[in-house]
Amino acid sequence: MNEMGAAGRRFARGNALEAANLAPEAAAHAQRQRLALADAKARFQKQNWVGTVALFAVAALFPVLPGVEGWMAYTVALVIIYVIATQGVAVLTGYTGLVTVGHGGFLAIGAYTSALLTKHYHTELITGLIAGGLMSAFIGCLLGLIFLRLSGAFMAIGTLGFAFFVGTIVNNVNLFEGREGISLPKNRILIWEIGDVGFYYVALAVFALTTLLVYCLVRSGVGRALMALRDAEKAAESCGINRVFYRTLAFSLSAFITGLAGVLNGHIVRFIASEVYADIWYSVDFLVAAIVGGSSFLMGPLLGGIFVALLPFFLEELRELAFILKGVALILVLMFAPAGLAEVFGRPWRAWRRNKLERVRNDGARVSRASLDKLTKLEAR
Amino acid sequence: MASHFRCENVMVRFGGVVACNDVSLDVEEGKIVGVIGPNGAGKTTLFNVLSRFQDFSEGKLFYREQRIDRFRPHQMVRLGLARTFQNINLFVEQSVLSNILIGSHCLIGNPLASLFWLPGARRTEQELTERAIETAALLHLERDLDTVVKHLPYGHQKRVELARALASRPKIILLDEPVAGCNDEESAELEKIVRRINRELGITVVLVEHDMSMVMSVCDYIYVLNFGANLARGTPAEIQSNPDVINAYLGKEE
Repeated sequence: MNEMGAAGRRFARGNALEAANLAPEAAAHAQRQRLALADAKARFQKQNWVGTVALFAVAALFPVLPGVEGWMAYTVALVIIYVIATQGVAVLTGYTGLVTVGHGGFLAIGAYTSALLTKHYHTELITGLIAGGLMSAFIGCLLGLIFLRLSGAFMAIGTLGFAFFVGTIVNNVNLFEGREGISLPKNRILIWEIGDVGFYYVALAVFALTTLLVYCLVRSGVGRALMALRDAEKAAESCGINRVFYRTLAFSLSAFITGLAGVLNGHIVRFIASEVYADIWYSVDFLVAAIVGGSSFLMGPLLGGIFVALLPFFLEELRELAFILKGVALILVLMFAPAGLAEVFGRPWRAWRRNKLERVRNDGARVSRASLDKLTKLEAR
Repeated sequence: MASHFRCENVMVRFGGVVACNDVSLDVEEGKIVGVIGPNGAGKTTLFNVLSRFQDFSEGKLFYREQRIDRFRPHQMVRLGLARTFQNINLFVEQSVLSNILIGSHCLIGNPLASLFWLPGARRTEQELTERAIETAALLHLERDLDTVVKHLPYGHQKRVELARALASRPKIILLDEPVAGCNDEESAELEKIVRRINRELGITVVLVEHDMSMVMSVCDYIYVLNFGANLARGTPAEIQSNPDVINAYLGKEE
């Protein structure tokens, strides 16, 4: 028997479905093509990793660059906090298809949980982050169950109501000290006090974790289930996806991420007052950031968050103008690039990859040495 | 042979309309069972009852003698029942491969392990992808794996839906009008595929269909519904010569 015949036999054993469809030569060719495609996709994934790690490396070096002062690190940390909060919105709005105008509420829950713990029990930042994130996730879980039957515009209104609800609570319940606010001592990680630069690194680390979380989510079966529910709910259920479970999970994860941003947001300013957190503008800002950036792309929250957070800094005295500009940007994006800036910027990149895959598919013979070895080993068995 | 899946005396009312009136249906293991009837006979309602998308007021539903009256649609998949839809219901913005992978959702194991890529999750994911590719090959979709579904022609989309249902490794597959809207060539192709699903994969098939030539040629036996009630049951030959069925379809000769 020649080499192709061996491959054909393997198919006859291991892959009865395909062997029935294809002649042995064709089956072997298909197998090679598949390996070549898998190789190409693995290379793309490696490129993604290298790119992301490079980005974080640059961000990590930023505070120690010559000429960078503490306030710059402080400002960039604020931007990172915005980006994290937007990631939370993206999990719900982008991947699960539930529009939320209430994530300012989760920001507040994270911030107040940690602030109260710090004030009354003198906890440090990591404890605060864990507690704030979990508290927010818990409330998110409850909210997900309450809003189980809402979708579309009704979900938007429901979540907006939640933001108002949280705002009213922090304004009026004595525990939260209303407009007087809660002042926090210097931030501590375990036993070490940290300044602006230290805080920058904490924010960056949290950002790295949330990015990893969203990345894992999107690539896992769970992410697929969320996107399936978003795209066709009935079909998703017919595929065995438990609507109640996954919607609640999406709410919890989303609230967890934005809750972490809330903890950071409270501790970076070291002052928390209802004036700030009862305001629904946070909620609107995060939604605008998610939509402008592209809520179903990993890079979306980064682009959108940077845009929304930095706009007022560049406008300086004309801050009021920021509202108008955000509105204009939102309208332009919805008209010309409804999937967001990440989709637009990613276009050439994806086209290049698509072409590459197409070339590999048309030229299945070109397989990397490692994969060829794997194939030969399989055939020898 | 033992009853694989059956419903007894199912009753469904929409307001004053009785969509299913005392309908019973028994699906034997390994068979291809057809459900036919004139428009408005309650076929699709019955179908939705069987896949648990429709609640019913009276009657019983059994899977291997286990009562499943109150199961939710997603639980049916875990039992081993998959379905397709009359009007294609795919995740149109996603690729063929993702569609099939979503179909294999019940095989991902613990969702939290999957979410955090705990050990094992990566292997499961790889296996599911390999199986998805095999399933695509069975339905001649291997060249379209990376294509976004909405860019595919109708006949291909029908096959993607079938592939998605097969991805859950079902014991029974419920097909709601599998060849509706297909041309002759596509129908012939799908007919062949349905036979192979039954013979080679050993999957029991229940199909609702308007295309009589397909029903008569693939089904082992057929249920006829009329005005929401059982009218007849029999082999294709028996059904074709049954006077009640001829009356229901063509009207009574005066």
